[in-house]
Amino acid sequence: MTIHLTRLLTVAALSACLGFAQNAKPIPRLANGKPDLSGVWQSGGVSLYGEPGLSTIKLPPPVNPPPKREPMPYQAWAEAKTKTFTAADDPTLRCLLPGVPRITTMPMPFEIVEKPKEVVIAYESYHAFRIIPINDKLEHPNDLVPTWMGDSVARWDGDTLVIDATGFNDKTWIGGNGTFHSEALHVVERFTLNSDDTITYVATVTDPKVLTKPWTTGALLRRPPNTRVEEYECIENNQDVSHIEK
Amino acid sequence: MQMPKLRTSLLGACAGLILAAVPVLAHHSFAAEYESKEVTLTGVITKVEWTNPHIYFYVDVKDASGNVVNYAIEGYPPNTLKRTGFTRDDLKVGDTVTVTAYPAKDSPSRVAGREITFPGGGKKFAGPAAGNGPPTTSAK
Repeated sequence: MTIHLTRLLTVAALSACLGFAQNAKPIPRLANGKPDLSGVWQSGGVSLYGEPGLSTIKLPPPVNPPPKREPMPYQAWAEAKTKTFTAADDPTLRCLLPGVPRITTMPMPFEIVEKPKEVVIAYESYHAFRIIPINDKLEHPNDLVPTWMGDSVARWDGDTLVIDATGFNDKTWIGGNGTFHSEALHVVERFTLNSDDTITYVATVTDPKVLTKPWTTGALLRRPPNTRVEEYECIENNQDVSHIEK
Repeated sequence: MQMPKLRTSLLGACAGLILAAVPVLAHHSFAAEYESKEVTLTGVITKVEWTNPHIYFYVDVKDASGNVVNYAIEGYPPNTLKRTGFTRDDLKVGDTVTVTAYPAKDSPSRVAGREITFPGGGKKFAGPAAGNGPPTTSAK
């Protein structure tokens, strides 16, 4: 009975969200029929949502909300290790590449360029880029050396673009403070373009060397108005690193 | 009268779903570097660095004894400021401005800027409120 009630309420809530959505229209598609994700996108930040608590920006609720971020399921020893890190250890404090999935949740815009056989994502933050071949077998090159952004390949699952990323070094953080990982990190990202012109981004992270089970996080991507991806030369005047370390 | 209430609460629930997913990561931790107690500074802009990952502008402030202290004021990155309507031309060397700010833990004359009041009385946010994350963004 409780389950039925919960289900009913969930359906009612989702229907309400759907009902409030504005400007629903068919999603754009490439000539090959695949959803066209091309354009500038952003997951958060004052330039998208305005100042927290003061913003007058009104956006309709999304038709397809991403999952909430759950606590990360670290193995006991790894959980203890996460607590040994401080903000001074954050690789991005030194303007180093944030890795995946963190790069997509940075509060700066990025541009997706979609072609039939390749997707390119150019991120403003940290000048990161990903050139992602589309191949149904999700085959990665066999000569990978671990890197900050890893290696990405993609396939289509219906109307959802699925990116498979691996080949990472162990120097980035997955999300919050101290969220380290091993070189066994494997990230599967799902990009779903919705009828309200949002993208639901869902990333599933596995790392059997430090996590007890896969961990999922998500973000809602919106098109920031009148925005183009611009330069962000992070190292230019990075005074924070010396001050935080003192 | 029931419907508007229901509508409002559902909207709130939907908004909650969105806010829960809003990413909150950025270049550095606000709490690791700055106090949350706000101070107000009034003085003359002496230098502007419209740079990444944060802008800095420097303001000569006279203390109660008449001594002048040059404050370094950190703000959002240039692109964030531009996108929120705060341009490089808003900061002019020689202008007298008032700035609310949060002092750095390691140096009282280095601050994270929040709201700046320009000579004409206009106000803009140069950086985030304490507790709203790094000066890069609205992050957590």
